[in-house]
Amino acid sequence: MAKPCAAGGVPADIEAAARENLAAVLTFDVAPADLASDVDLTGTYGLTSLNKVLFLTSLCRDTGVDIARLTEDDLAGMHTLRDCVDILSPHLPAGT
Amino acid sequence: MINELLASTPDRGTLHISRLAGTREVPLAEVWRLSGLVAAGLRARGLGAGDRIGILGANSLEWVVLDLAALRSKVETAGLEPGKFMPTRELMRRYGLSLLFTDRPCDEPGVEQLGTLLDDLTDLTGAAQPAPATYAPDEVTTIKFTSGSTGTPKGLGATIGSVDSSLNAVQDMFGHGPGDNLLVFLPLSLLQQRYWVYSALRYGHDVTVCTYEAAFAALTQVRPTVVMGVPGFFEGARSQIERRARRTGLDLAEVARDLFGDRIRYLWTGSAPADPATLAFFNRLGLPIYEGYGLNETCIVAKNHPAAHREGSVGRVLPGKQVIVDDDGVIHVRAEHPVNRRYAYCEPGDSERVFGPDGTVRTGDLGYLDPDGFLFILGRADDTIVLDNGKKVIVRQIEEHLKASPAIAECVLYCPAQTELVAVVSPASAPADTAAISAQLTATNRALSGDQYIHRVVVADEPFSIDNGLLTSQYKPRRKQIRARYLREIGDPRKGIHAA
Repeated sequence: MAKPCAAGGVPADIEAAARENLAAVLTFDVAPADLASDVDLTGTYGLTSLNKVLFLTSLCRDTGVDIARLTEDDLAGMHTLRDCVDILSPHLPAGT
Repeated sequence: MINELLASTPDRGTLHISRLAGTREVPLAEVWRLSGLVAAGLRARGLGAGDRIGILGANSLEWVVLDLAALRSKVETAGLEPGKFMPTRELMRRYGLSLLFTDRPCDEPGVEQLGTLLDDLTDLTGAAQPAPATYAPDEVTTIKFTSGSTGTPKGLGATIGSVDSSLNAVQDMFGHGPGDNLLVFLPLSLLQQRYWVYSALRYGHDVTVCTYEAAFAALTQVRPTVVMGVPGFFEGARSQIERRARRTGLDLAEVARDLFGDRIRYLWTGSAPADPATLAFFNRLGLPIYEGYGLNETCIVAKNHPAAHREGSVGRVLPGKQVIVDDDGVIHVRAEHPVNRRYAYCEPGDSERVFGPDGTVRTGDLGYLDPDGFLFILGRADDTIVLDNGKKVIVRQIEEHLKASPAIAECVLYCPAQTELVAVVSPASAPADTAAISAQLTATNRALSGDQYIHRVVVADEPFSIDNGLLTSQYKPRRKQIRARYLREIGDPRKGIHAA
Protein backbone atom coordinates (compact mmCIF):
# COMPACT_ATOMS: atom_id res chain seq x y z
CA MET A 1 0.00 0.00 0.00
CA ALA A 2 1.29 3.48 -0.84
CA LYS A 3 2.48 5.55 2.07
CA PRO A 4 0.54 8.77 2.88
CA CYS A 5 1.75 11.81 0.99
CA ALA A 6 2.33 15.33 2.23
CA ALA A 7 1.43 18.29 0.07
CA GLY A 8 3.02 18.21 -3.39
CA GLY A 9 3.11 14.41 -3.66
CA VAL A 10 6.12 14.03 -1.38
CA PRO A 11 5.86 10.93 0.82
CA ALA A 12 5.02 12.01 4.36
CA ASP A 13 7.78 9.78 5.73
CA ILE A 14 10.58 11.65 4.00
CA GLU A 15 9.16 15.00 5.05
CA ALA A 16 8.99 13.84 8.66
CA ALA A 17 12.42 12.26 8.50
CA ALA A 18 13.88 15.44 7.03
CA ARG A 19 12.42 17.55 9.81
CA GLU A 20 13.61 15.17 12.50
CA ASN A 21 17.14 14.92 11.10
CA LEU A 22 17.42 18.67 10.58
CA ALA A 23 16.30 19.39 14.13
CA ALA A 24 18.94 16.89 15.29
CA VAL A 25 21.85 18.84 13.83
CA LEU A 26 20.78 22.37 14.72
CA THR A 27 22.56 24.04 17.58
CA PHE A 28 19.33 25.07 19.33
CA ASP A 29 16.33 23.12 20.50
CA VAL A 30 13.44 23.18 18.08
CA ALA A 31 10.54 20.82 17.52
CA PRO A 32 10.72 19.19 14.08
CA ALA A 33 7.19 20.35 13.32
CA ASP A 34 8.15 23.98 13.96
CA LEU A 35 10.78 24.05 11.21
CA ALA A 36 9.76 26.09 8.20
CA SER A 37 9.99 24.45 4.79
CA ASP A 38 11.08 27.42 2.73
CA VAL A 39 13.59 29.37 4.78
CA ASP A 40 17.28 29.37 4.06
CA LEU A 41 18.91 26.72 6.23
CA THR A 42 22.17 28.61 6.59
CA GLY A 43 20.86 32.13 7.01
CA THR A 44 17.93 31.36 9.28
CA TYR A 45 18.91 28.22 11.14
CA GLY A 46 22.67 28.74 11.16
CA LEU A 47 23.26 25.33 9.52
CA THR A 48 26.98 24.93 8.85
CA SER A 49 28.23 23.15 5.75
CA LEU A 50 29.46 20.16 7.75
CA ASN A 51 26.21 19.87 9.70
CA LYS A 52 24.34 20.03 6.41
CA VAL A 53 26.37 17.05 5.25
CA LEU A 54 25.68 15.24 8.51
CA PHE A 55 21.97 16.00 8.18
CA LEU A 56 21.76 14.72 4.62
CA THR A 57 23.86 11.65 5.29
CA SER A 58 21.61 10.60 8.14
CA LEU A 59 18.46 11.52 6.21
CA CYS A 60 19.57 9.29 3.33
CA ARG A 61 20.22 6.51 5.72
CA ASP A 62 16.84 6.82 7.45
CA THR A 63 14.93 6.96 4.18
CA GLY A 64 16.91 4.28 2.39
CA VAL A 65 18.17 6.70 -0.27
CA ASP A 66 21.53 5.62 -1.65
CA ILE A 67 23.67 8.73 -1.07
CA ALA A 68 25.81 7.68 -4.04
CA ARG A 69 22.92 8.77 -6.27
CA LEU A 70 23.46 12.36 -5.18
CA THR A 71 26.20 14.64 -6.39
CA GLU A 72 28.14 17.38 -4.68
CA ASP A 73 26.12 19.78 -6.89
CA ASP A 74 22.87 18.34 -5.53
CA LEU A 75 24.02 19.22 -2.04
CA ALA A 76 24.98 22.70 -3.10
CA GLY A 77 21.45 23.15 -4.47
CA MET A 78 19.77 22.27 -1.19
CA HIS A 79 19.06 25.62 0.42
CA THR A 80 15.78 24.89 2.17
CA LEU A 81 14.12 21.92 3.80
CA ARG A 82 11.80 21.70 0.80
CA ASP A 83 14.80 21.60 -1.58
CA CYS A 84 16.21 18.65 0.35
CA VAL A 85 12.96 16.72 0.25
CA ASP A 86 12.40 17.49 -3.43
CA ILE A 87 15.90 16.42 -4.45
CA LEU A 88 15.84 13.23 -2.39
CA SER A 89 12.30 12.12 -3.22
CA PRO A 90 13.00 10.77 -6.72
CA HIS A 91 15.69 8.54 -5.24
CA LEU A 92 13.50 6.87 -2.62
CA PRO A 93 13.61 3.08 -2.86
CA ALA A 94 10.77 1.54 -4.86
CA GLY A 95 7.68 0.94 -2.76
CA THR A 96 8.43 3.79 -0.38
CA MET B 1 61.50 12.39 5.85
CA ILE B 2 60.50 14.17 2.62
CA ASN B 3 63.88 13.37 1.03
CA GLU B 4 63.47 9.71 2.00
CA LEU B 5 59.95 9.73 0.59
CA LEU B 6 61.22 11.15 -2.69
CA ALA B 7 64.05 8.63 -2.93
CA SER B 8 61.91 5.51 -3.10
CA THR B 9 58.86 4.19 -4.91
CA PRO B 10 56.01 3.18 -2.60
CA ASP B 11 55.33 -0.55 -2.72
CA ARG B 12 52.24 -0.73 -0.55
CA GLY B 13 49.34 1.35 0.63
CA THR B 14 46.30 2.66 -1.23
CA LEU B 15 44.83 6.07 -1.86
CA HIS B 16 41.05 6.00 -1.52
CA ILE B 17 39.33 8.87 -3.26
CA SER B 18 35.80 9.32 -1.95
CA ARG B 19 33.04 11.40 -3.41
CA LEU B 20 29.34 11.08 -2.79
CA ALA B 21 29.11 8.83 -5.85
CA GLY B 22 31.47 6.33 -4.27
CA THR B 23 35.07 5.48 -3.52
CA ARG B 24 37.85 4.80 -6.00
CA GLU B 25 40.96 2.95 -4.90
CA VAL B 26 44.33 3.77 -6.44
CA PRO B 27 47.46 1.97 -5.23
CA LEU B 28 50.05 4.45 -3.98
CA ALA B 29 52.52 2.97 -6.47
CA GLU B 30 50.17 4.06 -9.25
CA VAL B 31 49.73 7.51 -7.69
CA TRP B 32 53.51 7.73 -7.67
CA ARG B 33 53.75 6.67 -11.32
CA LEU B 34 51.14 9.23 -12.36
CA SER B 35 52.91 11.96 -10.42
CA GLY B 36 56.12 11.09 -12.29
CA LEU B 37 54.34 11.55 -15.62
CA VAL B 38 52.83 14.85 -14.54
CA ALA B 39 56.27 15.91 -13.30
CA ALA B 40 57.62 15.12 -16.77
CA GLY B 41 54.85 17.28 -18.19
CA LEU B 42 55.78 20.16 -15.90
CA ARG B 43 59.40 19.74 -16.88
CA ALA B 44 58.49 19.72 -20.59
CA ARG B 45 56.82 23.07 -20.06
CA GLY B 46 59.98 24.50 -18.62
CA LEU B 47 58.92 24.40 -14.99
CA GLY B 48 61.38 23.47 -12.29
CA ALA B 49 63.07 24.72 -9.14
CA GLY B 50 62.19 28.33 -8.47
CA ASP B 51 58.82 28.17 -10.24
CA ARG B 52 55.47 28.11 -8.53
CA ILE B 53 52.07 26.73 -9.52
CA GLY B 54 48.69 27.28 -7.88
CA ILE B 55 46.15 24.54 -7.12
CA LEU B 56 42.62 25.74 -6.52
CA GLY B 57 40.11 22.94 -6.31
CA ALA B 58 38.16 20.49 -4.19
CA ASN B 59 39.97 17.41 -2.92
CA SER B 60 40.60 14.95 -5.73
CA LEU B 61 43.05 12.41 -7.15
CA GLU B 62 44.33 15.12 -9.51
CA TRP B 63 45.10 17.40 -6.54
CA VAL B 64 47.17 14.70 -4.87
CA VAL B 65 49.03 13.76 -8.06
CA LEU B 66 49.81 17.35 -9.04
CA ASP B 67 51.07 18.18 -5.55
CA LEU B 68 53.39 15.18 -5.61
CA ALA B 69 54.55 16.00 -9.13
CA ALA B 70 55.45 19.50 -7.99
CA LEU B 71 57.22 18.17 -4.91
CA ARG B 72 59.24 15.79 -7.08
CA SER B 73 60.11 18.63 -9.47
CA LYS B 74 60.99 21.16 -6.77
CA VAL B 75 58.22 23.35 -8.12
CA GLU B 76 56.59 25.28 -5.28
CA THR B 77 52.85 24.95 -4.84
CA ALA B 78 50.34 27.46 -3.58
CA GLY B 79 47.36 25.61 -2.09
CA LEU B 80 44.37 27.86 -2.71
CA GLU B 81 41.11 27.14 -0.96
CA PRO B 82 38.02 27.22 -3.17
CA GLY B 83 35.62 29.90 -1.98
CA LYS B 84 38.44 31.93 -0.54
CA PHE B 85 40.13 32.51 -3.90
CA MET B 86 38.91 32.85 -7.48
CA PRO B 87 40.98 31.62 -10.45
CA THR B 88 42.03 34.86 -12.11
CA ARG B 89 45.08 36.35 -13.79
CA GLU B 90 45.26 38.79 -10.91
CA LEU B 91 45.59 35.88 -8.47
CA MET B 92 48.40 34.44 -10.61
CA ARG B 93 50.16 37.79 -10.73
CA ARG B 94 49.76 38.41 -7.01
CA TYR B 95 51.34 35.13 -6.00
CA GLY B 96 53.79 34.73 -8.88
CA LEU B 97 52.14 31.62 -10.33
CA SER B 98 53.47 30.23 -13.60
CA LEU B 99 50.34 28.10 -13.98
CA LEU B 100 47.12 27.79 -12.05
CA PHE B 101 45.18 24.51 -11.98
CA THR B 102 41.55 24.72 -10.95
CA ASP B 103 38.31 22.77 -11.04
CA ARG B 104 36.32 26.01 -11.32
CA PRO B 105 35.09 27.19 -14.72
CA CYS B 106 37.72 29.53 -16.10
CA ASP B 107 39.19 30.22 -19.54
CA GLU B 108 41.83 32.77 -18.66
CA PRO B 109 45.28 32.17 -20.16
CA GLY B 110 47.58 30.25 -17.87
CA VAL B 111 44.67 28.71 -15.99
CA GLU B 112 44.29 24.99 -16.62
CA GLN B 113 41.57 22.54 -15.72
CA LEU B 114 42.62 20.27 -12.86
CA GLY B 115 40.03 17.67 -13.90
CA THR B 116 41.81 16.91 -17.18
CA LEU B 117 45.29 16.68 -15.65
CA LEU B 118 45.45 12.92 -16.05
CA ASP B 119 43.69 12.72 -19.42
CA ASP B 120 46.62 13.62 -21.62
CA LEU B 121 49.44 11.57 -20.18
CA THR B 122 49.70 9.15 -23.11
CA ASP B 123 52.40 11.21 -24.80
CA LEU B 124 54.41 11.13 -21.62
CA THR B 125 54.27 7.42 -20.86
CA GLY B 126 57.76 6.99 -22.28
CA ALA B 127 59.11 9.92 -20.34
CA ALA B 128 61.66 9.17 -17.66
CA GLN B 129 60.50 9.37 -14.08
CA PRO B 130 62.19 12.35 -12.46
CA ALA B 131 65.43 11.81 -10.61
CA PRO B 132 64.83 11.91 -6.84
CA ALA B 133 64.76 15.51 -5.71
CA THR B 134 66.52 16.45 -2.51
CA TYR B 135 65.73 19.41 -0.34
CA ALA B 136 67.72 21.35 2.21
CA PRO B 137 65.86 21.97 5.48
CA ASP B 138 65.38 25.67 4.81
CA GLU B 139 64.02 25.25 1.27
CA VAL B 140 60.41 26.26 0.78
CA THR B 141 58.11 23.72 -0.84
CA THR B 142 54.72 25.41 -0.63
CA ILE B 143 52.95 28.63 0.22
CA LYS B 144 50.25 28.33 2.82
CA PHE B 145 47.68 30.98 3.49
CA THR B 146 46.40 32.29 6.76
CA SER B 147 43.80 34.89 7.67
CA GLY B 148 45.19 38.39 7.77
CA SER B 149 44.24 41.35 9.93
CA THR B 150 42.59 42.98 6.94
CA GLY B 151 40.83 39.83 5.85
CA THR B 152 43.28 39.41 2.95
CA PRO B 153 45.03 36.06 3.39
CA LYS B 154 48.68 36.27 4.32
CA GLY B 155 51.03 33.94 2.46
CA LEU B 156 53.72 31.99 4.25
CA GLY B 157 56.38 29.79 2.69
CA ALA B 158 56.68 26.46 4.50
CA THR B 159 60.17 24.99 4.75
CA ILE B 160 60.91 21.31 4.27
CA GLY B 161 62.59 21.25 7.69
CA SER B 162 59.33 22.23 9.38
CA VAL B 163 57.39 19.59 7.43
CA ASP B 164 59.97 16.93 8.30
CA SER B 165 60.10 17.73 11.97
CA SER B 166 56.31 17.68 12.33
CA LEU B 167 55.88 14.43 10.42
CA ASN B 168 58.69 12.71 12.30
CA ALA B 169 57.19 13.75 15.62
CA VAL B 170 53.71 12.59 14.60
CA GLN B 171 55.10 9.24 13.50
CA ASP B 172 56.87 8.79 16.83
CA MET B 173 53.63 9.54 18.68
CA PHE B 174 51.13 7.56 16.62
CA GLY B 175 53.14 4.94 14.71
CA HIS B 176 51.03 5.01 11.53
CA GLY B 177 51.69 1.99 9.36
CA PRO B 178 50.20 -0.81 7.26
CA GLY B 179 46.63 -1.49 8.35
CA ASP B 180 45.97 2.18 9.04
CA ASN B 181 43.72 4.30 6.87
CA LEU B 182 43.74 8.03 7.64
CA LEU B 183 40.64 9.94 6.53
CA VAL B 184 41.17 13.47 5.25
CA PHE B 185 38.18 15.61 4.30
CA LEU B 186 39.48 19.09 5.08
CA PRO B 187 40.85 20.90 2.03
CA LEU B 188 44.17 19.73 0.66
CA SER B 189 45.00 23.41 0.25
CA LEU B 190 45.84 23.17 3.97
CA LEU B 191 49.36 21.80 4.06
CA GLN B 192 48.70 19.69 7.14
CA GLN B 193 46.06 17.69 5.27
CA ARG B 194 48.68 16.80 2.66
CA TYR B 195 50.91 15.53 5.46
CA TRP B 196 48.76 12.41 5.66
CA VAL B 197 49.37 11.63 1.98
CA TYR B 198 53.11 12.06 2.51
CA SER B 199 52.87 9.89 5.61
CA ALA B 200 51.09 7.16 3.63
CA LEU B 201 53.79 7.19 0.94
CA ARG B 202 56.55 7.03 3.51
CA TYR B 203 55.10 4.61 6.02
CA GLY B 204 52.99 2.36 3.79
CA HIS B 205 49.52 2.95 5.16
CA ASP B 206 46.30 3.82 3.35
CA VAL B 207 44.87 7.31 3.17
CA THR B 208 41.39 8.40 2.18
CA VAL B 209 40.94 11.81 0.62
CA CYS B 210 37.37 12.94 0.20
CA THR B 211 35.30 15.99 -0.47
CA TYR B 212 33.79 17.43 2.68
CA GLU B 213 30.34 16.56 1.30
CA ALA B 214 31.32 12.89 1.36
CA ALA B 215 32.97 12.93 4.80
CA PHE B 216 30.29 11.05 6.71
CA ALA B 217 29.46 8.70 3.86
CA ALA B 218 33.16 7.83 3.52
CA LEU B 219 33.38 6.87 7.18
CA THR B 220 31.19 3.85 6.68
CA GLN B 221 32.49 3.09 3.19
CA VAL B 222 36.22 3.00 3.90
CA ARG B 223 36.21 2.29 7.65
CA PRO B 224 39.22 4.50 8.48
CA THR B 225 41.39 3.94 11.52
CA VAL B 226 42.08 7.65 12.03
CA VAL B 227 39.88 10.67 11.30
CA MET B 228 41.41 14.12 10.95
CA GLY B 229 38.81 16.73 11.85
CA VAL B 230 38.20 20.17 13.27
CA PRO B 231 36.31 20.42 16.59
CA GLY B 232 33.10 21.45 14.81
CA PHE B 233 33.06 18.13 12.97
CA PHE B 234 33.31 16.09 16.14
CA GLU B 235 30.78 18.27 17.95
CA GLY B 236 28.29 17.72 15.12
CA ALA B 237 28.96 14.00 15.23
CA ARG B 238 28.49 13.89 19.00
CA SER B 239 25.16 15.66 18.78
CA GLN B 240 24.05 13.27 16.06
CA ILE B 241 25.12 10.21 18.05
CA GLU B 242 23.33 11.39 21.20
CA ARG B 243 20.10 12.14 19.39
CA ARG B 244 20.13 8.92 17.39
CA ALA B 245 20.77 6.91 20.54
CA ARG B 246 17.84 8.63 22.26
CA ARG B 247 15.60 7.98 19.30
CA THR B 248 16.53 4.37 18.69
CA GLY B 249 17.25 3.26 22.24
CA LEU B 250 20.58 1.87 21.05
CA ASP B 251 23.75 2.11 23.09
CA LEU B 252 25.82 5.28 22.46
CA ALA B 253 28.92 3.26 21.64
CA GLU B 254 26.98 1.22 19.11
CA VAL B 255 25.61 4.33 17.40
CA ALA B 256 29.09 5.89 17.37
CA ARG B 257 30.53 2.75 15.80
CA ASP B 258 27.79 2.90 13.22
CA LEU B 259 28.76 6.46 12.29
CA PHE B 260 32.54 6.18 12.41
CA GLY B 261 32.96 2.57 11.34
CA ASP B 262 34.37 -0.24 13.42
CA ARG B 263 38.11 0.27 12.97
CA ILE B 264 38.80 3.64 14.62
CA ARG B 265 42.13 3.69 16.41
CA TYR B 266 41.93 7.36 17.33
CA LEU B 267 40.47 10.73 16.30
CA TRP B 268 42.67 13.75 15.66
CA THR B 269 41.53 17.30 16.34
CA GLY B 270 43.08 20.74 16.49
CA SER B 271 42.98 24.14 14.74
CA ALA B 272 40.47 25.52 17.25
CA PRO B 273 39.65 24.90 20.90
CA ALA B 274 37.61 21.73 21.36
CA ASP B 275 34.75 21.46 23.82
CA PRO B 276 36.07 19.38 26.75
CA ALA B 277 32.68 17.67 27.01
CA THR B 278 33.00 16.48 23.41
CA LEU B 279 36.49 15.14 24.01
CA ALA B 280 35.28 13.32 27.14
CA PHE B 281 32.30 11.95 25.22
CA PHE B 282 34.40 10.23 22.56
CA ASN B 283 36.96 9.01 25.06
CA ARG B 284 34.17 7.42 27.11
CA LEU B 285 32.88 5.62 24.02
CA GLY B 286 36.24 4.05 23.34
CA LEU B 287 37.08 6.43 20.49
CA PRO B 288 40.18 8.17 21.84
CA ILE B 289 40.38 11.74 20.63
CA TYR B 290 43.61 13.69 20.83
CA GLU B 291 43.67 17.47 20.80
CA GLY B 292 46.72 19.40 19.74
CA TYR B 293 47.85 22.93 19.20
CA GLY B 294 49.55 24.78 16.41
CA LEU B 295 49.27 27.70 14.05
CA ASN B 296 50.07 28.03 10.38
CA GLU B 297 53.15 29.96 11.47
CA THR B 298 54.39 27.25 13.84
CA CYS B 299 52.99 24.00 12.44
CA ILE B 300 52.21 21.44 15.18
CA VAL B 301 53.49 22.68 18.54
CA ALA B 302 51.93 20.26 21.01
CA LYS B 303 49.83 17.12 20.76
CA ASN B 304 48.20 14.68 23.10
CA HIS B 305 48.80 11.09 22.09
CA PRO B 306 48.32 7.60 23.49
CA ALA B 307 51.52 7.63 25.56
CA ALA B 308 51.13 11.17 26.94
CA HIS B 309 47.64 12.53 27.33
CA ARG B 310 46.34 14.97 29.91
CA GLU B 311 42.74 16.08 29.94
CA GLY B 312 42.26 19.81 29.33
CA SER B 313 45.70 20.19 27.83
CA VAL B 314 46.79 20.21 24.19
CA GLY B 315 49.59 17.80 24.98
CA ARG B 316 53.30 17.99 25.45
CA VAL B 317 55.45 20.20 23.27
CA LEU B 318 56.93 18.35 20.28
CA PRO B 319 60.66 17.66 19.99
CA GLY B 320 62.34 20.53 18.15
CA LYS B 321 59.81 23.05 19.46
CA GLN B 322 60.11 25.24 22.51
CA VAL B 323 57.24 27.09 24.19
CA ILE B 324 58.02 30.28 26.06
CA VAL B 325 55.28 31.96 28.08
CA ASP B 326 56.00 35.66 28.53
CA ASP B 327 55.17 37.85 31.52
CA ASP B 328 51.73 38.59 30.07
CA GLY B 329 50.98 34.89 29.74
CA VAL B 330 51.29 34.95 25.96
CA ILE B 331 52.70 31.84 24.28
CA HIS B 332 55.74 32.22 22.02
CA VAL B 333 57.05 29.30 19.97
CA ARG B 334 60.65 28.78 18.94
CA ALA B 335 61.48 25.98 16.51
CA GLU B 336 64.63 24.19 15.52
CA HIS B 337 63.22 24.22 11.98
CA PRO B 338 60.86 27.19 11.76
CA VAL B 339 58.07 27.19 9.19
CA ASN B 340 59.57 30.52 8.15
CA ARG B 341 60.86 33.74 9.67
CA ARG B 342 58.41 36.07 7.97
CA TYR B 343 55.38 36.11 5.67
CA ALA B 344 55.97 36.07 1.94
CA TYR B 345 52.78 38.07 1.35
CA CYS B 346 51.24 40.37 3.94
CA GLU B 347 50.45 43.92 4.88
CA PRO B 348 53.32 46.06 6.14
CA GLY B 349 54.08 45.29 9.77
CA ASP B 350 52.30 41.89 9.83
CA SER B 351 55.55 39.89 9.85
CA GLU B 352 57.10 42.01 12.59
CA ARG B 353 53.98 41.62 14.76
CA VAL B 354 54.18 37.82 14.63
CA PHE B 355 57.81 36.85 14.04
CA GLY B 356 60.67 37.79 16.34
CA PRO B 357 64.12 38.47 14.90
CA ASP B 358 65.15 34.83 15.45
CA GLY B 359 61.91 33.46 13.95
CA THR B 360 60.19 32.96 17.31
CA VAL B 361 56.44 33.21 16.77
CA ARG B 362 54.22 35.30 19.03
CA THR B 363 51.04 33.23 18.92
CA GLY B 364 48.67 35.70 20.58
CA ASP B 365 47.30 32.83 22.67
CA LEU B 366 47.40 32.81 26.44
CA GLY B 367 48.50 29.65 28.19
CA TYR B 368 50.81 27.85 30.55
CA LEU B 369 52.89 24.71 30.87
CA ASP B 370 52.22 22.44 33.82
CA PRO B 371 55.11 20.86 35.77
CA ASP B 372 54.99 17.79 33.53
CA GLY B 373 55.30 19.83 30.36
CA PHE B 374 51.67 19.69 29.19
CA LEU B 375 50.52 22.86 27.50
CA PHE B 376 47.21 24.44 28.46
CA ILE B 377 45.57 27.14 26.32
CA LEU B 378 43.54 29.78 28.14
CA GLY B 379 42.28 31.94 25.27
CA ARG B 380 43.30 34.74 22.99
CA ALA B 381 45.38 37.69 24.05
CA ASP B 382 44.01 39.90 21.32
CA ASP B 383 40.62 40.44 19.80
CA THR B 384 40.57 37.41 17.52
CA ILE B 385 37.75 34.92 17.29
CA VAL B 386 38.82 31.45 16.23
CA LEU B 387 35.94 29.84 14.37
CA ASP B 388 35.22 26.15 14.75
CA ASN B 389 36.68 25.55 11.32
CA GLY B 390 40.01 26.89 12.56
CA LYS B 391 39.83 30.17 10.69
CA LYS B 392 40.53 33.37 12.54
CA VAL B 393 38.48 36.50 12.42
CA ILE B 394 39.79 39.80 13.77
CA VAL B 395 36.71 41.40 15.27
CA ARG B 396 37.91 44.99 15.49
CA GLN B 397 37.74 45.69 11.77
CA ILE B 398 34.22 44.24 11.49
CA GLU B 399 32.95 46.10 14.53
CA GLU B 400 34.36 49.35 13.25
CA HIS B 401 32.67 48.86 9.91
CA LEU B 402 29.31 48.27 11.56
CA LYS B 403 29.77 51.32 13.76
CA ALA B 404 30.08 53.49 10.65
CA SER B 405 26.28 53.67 10.73
CA PRO B 406 24.88 56.63 12.67
CA ALA B 407 22.20 54.25 13.95
CA ILE B 408 24.83 52.16 15.80
CA ALA B 409 26.55 53.56 18.88
CA GLU B 410 28.56 50.47 19.78
CA CYS B 411 28.76 46.86 18.82
CA VAL B 412 30.52 43.67 19.84
CA LEU B 413 30.90 40.46 17.92
CA TYR B 414 30.47 36.89 19.15
CA CYS B 415 30.64 33.44 17.65
CA PRO B 416 27.99 31.44 19.53
CA ALA B 417 28.03 28.41 17.26
CA GLN B 418 30.71 27.05 15.00
CA THR B 419 31.19 29.66 12.26
CA GLU B 420 28.21 31.92 12.94
CA LEU B 421 29.15 35.50 13.77
CA VAL B 422 26.55 37.49 15.68
CA ALA B 423 26.84 41.17 16.59
CA VAL B 424 25.16 42.77 19.58
CA VAL B 425 24.47 46.38 18.74
CA SER B 426 23.88 49.27 21.07
CA PRO B 427 21.45 51.51 19.20
CA ALA B 428 22.24 55.20 18.86
CA SER B 429 18.58 56.08 19.28
CA ALA B 430 15.54 54.94 21.17
CA PRO B 431 13.64 53.34 19.68
CA ALA B 432 16.36 51.78 17.59
CA ASP B 433 16.36 52.49 13.89
CA THR B 434 16.24 48.85 12.86
CA ALA B 435 15.94 49.65 9.16
CA ALA B 436 19.21 51.59 9.24
CA ILE B 437 20.91 48.87 11.31
CA SER B 438 19.74 46.24 8.83
CA ALA B 439 21.05 48.34 5.93
CA GLN B 440 24.42 48.66 7.66
CA LEU B 441 24.54 44.89 8.22
CA THR B 442 24.05 44.39 4.49
CA ALA B 443 26.68 47.03 3.67
CA THR B 444 29.23 45.52 6.07
CA ASN B 445 28.69 42.01 4.76
CA ARG B 446 29.16 43.28 1.21
CA ALA B 447 32.34 45.13 2.12
CA LEU B 448 34.01 42.32 4.08
CA SER B 449 34.95 38.85 2.97
CA GLY B 450 33.93 35.21 3.55
CA ASP B 451 34.66 34.30 7.13
CA GLN B 452 33.83 37.82 8.30
CA TYR B 453 30.19 37.34 7.33
CA ILE B 454 27.83 38.45 10.11
CA HIS B 455 24.78 36.21 10.24
CA ARG B 456 22.69 38.27 12.64
CA VAL B 457 22.53 41.46 14.64
CA VAL B 458 20.92 41.46 18.06
CA VAL B 459 19.77 44.97 18.93
CA ALA B 460 20.20 45.71 22.64
CA ASP B 461 16.97 46.72 24.32
CA GLU B 462 18.73 49.70 25.84
CA PRO B 463 21.96 51.44 24.82
CA PHE B 464 25.13 50.21 26.54
CA SER B 465 26.04 52.55 29.39
CA ILE B 466 28.29 52.74 32.43
CA ASP B 467 25.16 52.74 34.57
CA ASN B 468 23.82 49.49 33.19
CA GLY B 469 27.24 47.92 33.48
CA LEU B 470 27.77 47.36 29.76
CA LEU B 471 30.46 50.03 29.28
CA THR B 472 33.69 50.49 31.20
CA SER B 473 34.54 53.81 32.75
CA GLN B 474 36.53 54.48 29.57
CA TYR B 475 33.33 53.89 27.58
CA LYS B 476 34.56 50.62 26.13
CA PRO B 477 32.05 47.78 25.73
CA ARG B 478 32.31 45.11 28.41
CA ARG B 479 32.23 41.99 26.28
CA LYS B 480 31.61 39.43 29.00
CA GLN B 481 28.78 41.42 30.57
CA ILE B 482 27.13 42.06 27.20
CA ARG B 483 27.37 38.38 26.36
CA ALA B 484 25.84 37.44 29.70
CA ARG B 485 22.99 39.94 29.27
CA TYR B 486 22.11 38.81 25.73
CA LEU B 487 23.16 35.16 25.93
CA ARG B 488 19.77 33.83 24.88
CA GLU B 489 19.42 36.12 21.87
CA ILE B 490 23.01 35.50 20.77
CA GLY B 491 22.54 31.75 20.91
CA ASP B 492 19.15 31.53 19.22
CA PRO B 493 19.47 31.70 15.41
CA ARG B 494 15.86 32.86 15.15
CA LYS B 495 16.47 36.07 17.11
CA GLY B 496 17.67 39.41 15.80
CA ILE B 497 18.04 41.00 12.39
CA HIS B 498 19.22 38.45 9.86
CA ALA B 499 21.63 39.15 7.07
CA ALA B 500 19.86 39.58 3.74
